[in-house]
Amino acid sequence: MFACIYSQNIKESLSLANFAYVFSPLVEETKQDTVVIDVEGCELLFGSAYELANEVSVRAGHLKVDGGLEGKVNVAISSNPDAAIHAATFLKGITFISPGEELTCLGDLPVQVLDYSLINLEKKQADEIFETLRLWGVRTFQEFAALPLAGIAERLGPQGIQLQQLASGKTERHLKLKQPAPIFANSIELEHAIAELEPLSFIFARLLNQLCATLNAYALATNELLVQIKLADRTTHERKLSLPYPMRDHKVFLKLLLLDTEMHPPQAAVVAVSITCQPVKPRVLQNGLFIPLAPEPEKLELTLARLAKLVGKENIGSPEIIDTHRPDSFRMKRFALKSKPDFRKRRGGSAKRQSAIGNRQCLGFRVFRPPLRAIVKADQGCPTQISAWGKQRSVYGKVVSLAGPWRTTGDWWSNDRWARDEWDVALESASGIKKHGSQSQVLYRIYRELNNGTWFVEGNYD
Amino acid sequence: MSEYIELHARSAFSFLEGASVPEELIAACSELEMPSMALLDRDGVYGSPRFHLAAKKNGIRAHIGAEISVQRPKDQSPKTNFARTEDIFSIPVLVRNRRGYQNLCRLISLMKLRVPKHAKPGECAVIPEELAAHADGLICLTGGDDGPLSGQGDTRKKQRIAEWLTAVFGKRNVYVELQRHFDREEEARNQALIEIAVRTDLPLLATNGVGYATPAQREVADVFTCIRNHVRLETAGRLLAQNSERYLKSAATMLKLFADLPEATANTAELSSRLEFTLEDLGYVFPKYPVPHGETMTSFLRQRTEEGACLRYTGGNGSPTYEQARPQIERELILIEKLKLEGYFLIVWDIVQFCRRAGILIQGRGSAANSAVCYSLGITAVDPIGMELLFERFLSEERGEWPDIDLDLPSGDQREKAIQYVYERYGKLGAAMTANVITYRGRSAAREVGKALDFDEETLSRLSGLVHTWEWKDPKDSSERQFRDAGLDLRNPRIKKFFQLYQMVQDLPRHLGQHSGGMVICQGQLDSVVPLEPAAMPGRVVVQWDKEDCADMGLIKVDLLGLGMMAVLEESIQLIRDSSGEEVDLAHLPPDDNSVYAALQKADTIGMFQVESRAQMSCLPRLRPQKFYDIVVQVAIIRPGPIVGNMVHPYLKRRQGRELVNYPHPLLEPVLKRTLGVPLFQEQLLKMAMICADFSGGEAEELRRAFGFKRSEARMKEIEIKLRRGMQRNGLSGKVQDEIVQAITSFALYGFPESHAASFALIAYASAYLKCNYLAAFTAALLNNQPMGFYQPFTLIKDAQRHGLKVLAVDITCSDWLCTLEPEGEGAETERLGEAKTNGRGERETRRWRDAEMGVDCQMSNTLVSVSRHPFALRLGLRYVKGLSEQSGRAIVRERTARPLAGIDDLRNRVPELRKDELRKLAAVGALNFIQIPRSPVSAKPKVHNPISNQKTFSVGDEVWEKKGVHRRDALWQVERVVRSAGALYEELLEKDGNSPLTPMTRSERIDADFRGTGLTIGKHPVAYYRAELNKLGVIRAIDVGKMRNGSLVRIAGWVIVRQRPGTAKGFVFLTLEDETGVSNIIITPQIFDRNRLVLVDHPFLLIEGALQNQDNVISVKAKCVQPLSFKVAAAPSHDFH
Repeated sequence: MFACIYSQNIKESLSLANFAYVFSPLVEETKQDTVVIDVEGCELLFGSAYELANEVSVRAGHLKVDGGLEGKVNVAISSNPDAAIHAATFLKGITFISPGEELTCLGDLPVQVLDYSLINLEKKQADEIFETLRLWGVRTFQEFAALPLAGIAERLGPQGIQLQQLASGKTERHLKLKQPAPIFANSIELEHAIAELEPLSFIFARLLNQLCATLNAYALATNELLVQIKLADRTTHERKLSLPYPMRDHKVFLKLLLLDTEMHPPQAAVVAVSITCQPVKPRVLQNGLFIPLAPEPEKLELTLARLAKLVGKENIGSPEIIDTHRPDSFRMKRFALKSKPDFRKRRGGSAKRQSAIGNRQCLGFRVFRPPLRAIVKADQGCPTQISAWGKQRSVYGKVVSLAGPWRTTGDWWSNDRWARDEWDVALESASGIKKHGSQSQVLYRIYRELNNGTWFVEGNYD
Repeated sequence: MSEYIELHARSAFSFLEGASVPEELIAACSELEMPSMALLDRDGVYGSPRFHLAAKKNGIRAHIGAEISVQRPKDQSPKTNFARTEDIFSIPVLVRNRRGYQNLCRLISLMKLRVPKHAKPGECAVIPEELAAHADGLICLTGGDDGPLSGQGDTRKKQRIAEWLTAVFGKRNVYVELQRHFDREEEARNQALIEIAVRTDLPLLATNGVGYATPAQREVADVFTCIRNHVRLETAGRLLAQNSERYLKSAATMLKLFADLPEATANTAELSSRLEFTLEDLGYVFPKYPVPHGETMTSFLRQRTEEGACLRYTGGNGSPTYEQARPQIERELILIEKLKLEGYFLIVWDIVQFCRRAGILIQGRGSAANSAVCYSLGITAVDPIGMELLFERFLSEERGEWPDIDLDLPSGDQREKAIQYVYERYGKLGAAMTANVITYRGRSAAREVGKALDFDEETLSRLSGLVHTWEWKDPKDSSERQFRDAGLDLRNPRIKKFFQLYQMVQDLPRHLGQHSGGMVICQGQLDSVVPLEPAAMPGRVVVQWDKEDCADMGLIKVDLLGLGMMAVLEESIQLIRDSSGEEVDLAHLPPDDNSVYAALQKADTIGMFQVESRAQMSCLPRLRPQKFYDIVVQVAIIRPGPIVGNMVHPYLKRRQGRELVNYPHPLLEPVLKRTLGVPLFQEQLLKMAMICADFSGGEAEELRRAFGFKRSEARMKEIEIKLRRGMQRNGLSGKVQDEIVQAITSFALYGFPESHAASFALIAYASAYLKCNYLAAFTAALLNNQPMGFYQPFTLIKDAQRHGLKVLAVDITCSDWLCTLEPEGEGAETERLGEAKTNGRGERETRRWRDAEMGVDCQMSNTLVSVSRHPFALRLGLRYVKGLSEQSGRAIVRERTARPLAGIDDLRNRVPELRKDELRKLAAVGALNFIQIPRSPVSAKPKVHNPISNQKTFSVGDEVWEKKGVHRRDALWQVERVVRSAGALYEELLEKDGNSPLTPMTRSERIDADFRGTGLTIGKHPVAYYRAELNKLGVIRAIDVGKMRNGSLVRIAGWVIVRQRPGTAKGFVFLTLEDETGVSNIIITPQIFDRNRLVLVDHPFLLIEGALQNQDNVISVKAKCVQPLSFKVAAAPSHDFH
């Protein structure tokens, strides 16, 4: 016999399957709100099947702390698990279906409620059959079951037969038993608070060892480690390590974690540590014969972590140009090795948006970061004299020749609109930067924000 | 003389590549005091007429040109067999003289006609050889970003292209174009171009590559870029413009920009002076008609007119004699000859002759009906002399515009035949349809702008939902309120931006469509007058100008318009001929058929042309038409002109004798006598001006136009002064003058020409005559030409049934693809009863079952008023089975005609076109109920009709068949067997017989299946099934409403068949409810509508309580309370919001 437990309004924090394990170890989690348990042999513990159903119903009403579901459930007992599912889903309270009496209980249910997923039927196929049944005027399980088998076989095919068996409560199948999910988390509470990195590293090593062993056992890896450290001042110090590739090397994890802890040390002594990881499929890579060897990702990650420790995380990565006319527009993205060089992208990709001229006259340009705020004298909008001072450099002088303005405006649809005029100006060599010794003129790019009229020196040309 | 002329500008007619309409460009040009300007749209001259006219108005010289897509010459492009986008560049060309214009039009036509309408970029381009052959008279610029000298590549390659262009266009006709938009890369290219110009000794030319009139319109240009590239503004990146510099700049600004290259700006003025061509010099010549040897077009036209006039003006039936008509005909012919329009009239005559030969109904309408020549030539059917119509309304010397003849043809294949005849007769390049420019409006604008701004689907739906389709606009309905109601805050910057952009894109061109019927003809040379391009419909060619542009440019057009009712008339006549052999001649219908006028007076006009709408039906009992001219008035009176001008009520009151007939001035009596002193037609307005102010016919028509749609304050003022001066001269007092001016001012905008009303009235009379005398044929034709008219097929069928017509269900053993007629008489009835016994049921019981299955509404015929018996029943055609393709439907008829269908298996085998869902649909609507089942082929018997036996047997070859009825579920059970295989595992289980275990459909299931499957039911009206319950609620039937006292409180219920909220009705909503006895009219006040909006808009069945209004037998109920009725039967959707 099988018992189906159905709860329509189960809280998210509660699990129907965990509740069902109290009654039988053989649990099928059919859906989030439906479980089926095999109650064969439970008589010794709970008495008759009806008593068992009663017990389920009563215990479901208990509070969570008492192992209950804090609500009402429907329970149906039947020799057929699918009949039990339909009965529990659509009949309130406790339903007991004697073998062969399935249609007595379920016969009046409309055929559209048949759970076709139980026989692995696709929605499209099921909808087609339901539409045919609608045209035939077949409305209930009873009417469907009463149709001749041969007639159904001829008209609705094997799927029709299966669906009819489902309506009659005559399907034959085994439960798909639920397996407990592996836990990819580990934690430890310390007897004495730790205030130094070295002893903490042993704790990390122990937890990471166990975690990696679990990952190994399931042939998985992780690309995210979440470390939660409880501190003596009752606060929690949380760190998340995101990895560019899935890994499961506990030594690498340990080094990365230590580097990160050095950069972001906890503000008080540590009293408990918990590490959780997000399991993902490991990386599979086959390098080409002619592709130059790149450093091991793990080693690269460690190197980057060490560099980040030195220069700060925001100052490391690969610059990426943004597709916009906004000048000097780029973002930093995490540095990562390309698995394969993308030849196709290089050839066609942005040809449409590229510059209209060749590179033959391009000069090297050195950008001042940040740009120098400048005072510019202008005659009819054209700059004639520039003065700009910064901490490291200063630019000043009379404009000897100029080109421009080069005007860009954009993002007019957002609050972040911009508009600026650029000029390429040659100054007499009175500026702070000398150009290759003997030359007497230096070429700068200056620009004016059109929104507020402020001038800046953006950089100089080589 | 200005030192700079803008010679490279695109308008929004470059379709998503320009953001200003030509008028905006000209306005900006005028503001900048630029004396001339050139418009170069992408691959076309779509905007040039509007550009030309706007320029003319502003005293600006409009240069014409285009940007032509050209394939890169072979020696310049990479070796590949495929044309790629990179291999195509755009060459801007300016037209120097008429020859150049003709070449440009031919070039564009060549390029466009080579590929289908929606060709991909790269497929549609001119090849270098074609360019070389058509370069004469054109000036070539080297273009901007997408020009031949743009892009990467060394200078030597570019120089070679420049040399090639010089070879093609000639040394003096190539200019190296420089543009400056404050772009660093562009300037680098400019430097390279200057170098090339020096080397090749070509002149420089400064342009701004204008894409919009003002800097603010750059935003629209960016949005268009996004729409074109299917991207959002956020992700468009460098596809968007770098800045807003492509606006029309002043000469001073351009001189400053090109201060280092003064020759580049100076050359613009020099080049402008070389461009002689304007659209004034189009070179369009009136079409010629090929006449027999020894004849001229004049003599030929005179002969044809004379022949026709002799036939038409016989003096019979009160029509004028030939002698009486002759002076008017002569006057018209002289004017036609003077204006050299003989060819045009002969071409139209030729089309009419073709239609007559091909048996296609054709009738001229509109102002052409004012011409006695048109009447004599058979182009129109209304006698303008008999009806005293005004010829000047059609053609006048003063007006300087060409006549416009509209021909009505049966919509569908017949009209297409006439169009194809014109193509065939005048050549592919000699005739084309006029275009219809589709502009951004309402929902399309909201959706596309919203998409560019990256709004999510839900917001997009809300935004586009804001655009109401209701004709009536609530004055309180401001945009702010609409947005607020939709939960959108206009203070939100993005919503605000959306709103701005939405308003900016309104009315900008989106793409080119084709006009419904306008054709321009030009004797094999149309492609040198205006570029031609393919339409989406195969076999059709369109010109790049719309109807208005063609008229403005002086191109004569003929409108071949499809009219659904013409197709109905034609098909009705055919059905009558086929069924009874009777010949109905529309030209000789009895003029005073009593049944027609009786039906019109009762407003029993469902299905009739022009008089079936709710407003017409409410006017008919008051106007009570008694003669043909009353129908002319009826057709014209329910129009915005008379309604807005408050002419309807005075006319009706005078007609009913409740108001005295008087005239603004005794002089006007002859003009207004026929309409009881109330001006109802445009011709009357013209005549009023002619009589009161001594206007000539042409001047009067000029007056009408001045006050018409294209109103101009200055012109109106000018003509009003002239009008008043004339009236003063004739001694008309100030008050009378005011009255007449007021009448003309309010009426000219919406007035209806009498000639047009008369043409329509002829069709209305014919439709009414056919409905009253040949109901079966008329209804079948109406059903075969759906969708058309005001009502759904369900309403048409119910109306026909109420008039006693028997309607038979779709049945594959006898239904054709279209609805047909079947003899209805004793024999047929007996045959039906005989069949019923076959099933072993008692005769009465079986008849009831069969009636229900077939949908024969016995009860209805018992309950209703006088039902005349019709000799024919209407058999619904297979086209009414929703989802059944025409191919499958016709295949069924083909196979059945060859040999009767022997069951569903046989049907499936012999009609492989039938899909399984089609078979199911046929079974569900009962079309398979009477399929024949084969009996053992024992003995061949002749066809036997045995009234006692309950089955019909007949022989085909050696086999004997029996026709046996099954119910719909039987058929569905059988259908499933033939459409699906059981699978190998179940082969042994297969059933031995096909007996169905299914129960027959219940009544409501059948109605539901009927509506789902055919959109109608021929059985009882759905409301009839609830009559007992409705009686308990005190609901009265539609037929009984008229018996109630005026002002009494009544309750009526029914299915909503029409919902209307006309613009002229101040927010009132009009519903038409239908029950089993007829229709009733409901008036909903704006307050009641606001309170019950959802119920009124969404629910198919309503119960309405309100006060009965009976004004001169026009019965309506003014709703006070509205309730939805939850009937568990299906209903077809209503026809809403006209």
